[in-house]
Amino acid sequence: MSTNTLKYDTSKAKSLLREVSERSGQNLSACYQCRRCAAGCPVGEETGVTPDRLVRTVLLGDRDEALNNLLVWQCVACYTCGTRCPNNIQTARITETLKQMSKEAHLDPLKPRIADFHSSFMKAAGHYGRFNEIEGMGIYETKTAINELKKGGLKAVFDEMKAQAKLGMTMTKKKRMHFKIDKVKNVAEVKALYRRAKQGKGE
Amino acid sequence: MELAYYPGCSLHASSQLYDVQCKMVFSNLGIELKEIDDWNCCGATAAAKTDDFLAIALPARNLGIADATGLSEIMIPCSSCYSRTLVSQQRLSCDPELKNAINAELGQKVEGKIKVSNILEVLKTKVTSGELAAKAGRKLEGLKAACYYGCLLTRFPCDVPVSDDVENPQGMEIVCKSLGVETIDWSYKTDCCGASASVNDAEESQLLMSRIMKDAAARGANCYVATCPLCQFNLDAYQDEVGKKYGIEQRLPVYFITELIGLSMGFDPIAMQVDRHLTDAMGLLKELKLI
Repeated sequence: MSTNTLKYDTSKAKSLLREVSERSGQNLSACYQCRRCAAGCPVGEETGVTPDRLVRTVLLGDRDEALNNLLVWQCVACYTCGTRCPNNIQTARITETLKQMSKEAHLDPLKPRIADFHSSFMKAAGHYGRFNEIEGMGIYETKTAINELKKGGLKAVFDEMKAQAKLGMTMTKKKRMHFKIDKVKNVAEVKALYRRAKQGKGE
Repeated sequence: MELAYYPGCSLHASSQLYDVQCKMVFSNLGIELKEIDDWNCCGATAAAKTDDFLAIALPARNLGIADATGLSEIMIPCSSCYSRTLVSQQRLSCDPELKNAINAELGQKVEGKIKVSNILEVLKTKVTSGELAAKAGRKLEGLKAACYYGCLLTRFPCDVPVSDDVENPQGMEIVCKSLGVETIDWSYKTDCCGASASVNDAEESQLLMSRIMKDAAARGANCYVATCPLCQFNLDAYQDEVGKKYGIEQRLPVYFITELIGLSMGFDPIAMQVDRHLTDAMGLLKELKLI
């Protein structure tokens, strides 16, 4: 018997399907696997997972695979899949949902830099209420460097610093770099929204 | 005429030139852009990927401020800010419970009455009315533009009214043609540049950019035109690196639509900060004797 044989457990499948459908607001059951989404997905070829496959994974109740695949991380949120879906399923909303579920399940992100970038962005945006590139990139680069060093990736840290320094210098020369910090006066209101978001997650 | 205006974070940082140009061009068209007071970051794609509540709540605060201005329309030049704000407004209109929860935290409550417009929607009306032609009279001959829309002007994660054709938008071509700019037909106008993947997943975003660059070059474009600051930045900043990696010779300037309108209006390119591009944007204009 091949090890690839699908195991289908109705109770597991239903609970995963219900959770993803409710959180993403998408009716995954409507997918009839026409693969128009796959044809338009700009990252499907490289990730090896196209939106239709991801929907099928959820329908089959394979939680491990659904929370742990490259499409969930590398989806660029271009919304081509959902725009072309004849059944109006927004798979990008599904990848967004699965990414959040993956974090809640404390799984190691398959693409740590992507996870670090988005969390750094949100941290910086919540700090002053506006995203300051200098601050956001600073948080991101520090996080990434620590992660790489933990894995012993000294060269990766060095390469990243070199690339960022080069871009930073060109940007400075062309006056595209801004060092002034932009702040929201009533940042307390923005922080209140962040607090409410945390409460909603039971954190 | 007054329009509420939301520049967003990038127009206050690496894409400040776009903010400068928007103000110059719209002022000349008789439109005063009233930047809304004390706006915050819209959350961009990061919020959508990490927190469903903040993805709606952050733009909602700006919508509340915009509604309080009493103006009927807000123009948002950045595609990501525009998309997130429009999506937030749509979501709140059909989820009163969420709207109440968010409004409970806000001094200026979201009413949902202001019309959220992208830059091309506003510009198209000025082409139709003849006001653009009246102010932008100089024909920019010799430019062959690949109008690059990217993702978020026409594709949304929910049902909202889309302001242009989803697969083959024409807004930028309409504006360009009225300036005497030739536009090419090409296949990658709404393809993704990778957005923030240029920072966190460079391999992927460079592959996406290489496809865009190959098609623009093959169709004989001599420049790109963009309205999204992140599309503009990615092609501007990484074009050389991607070109070397994928064997693409051409390096094309990536103009903001406002730069071409401004040139046609007779504005000084230095005042518009056209010299601040990371892929040279002045050389072609000199070569074509447009400056």
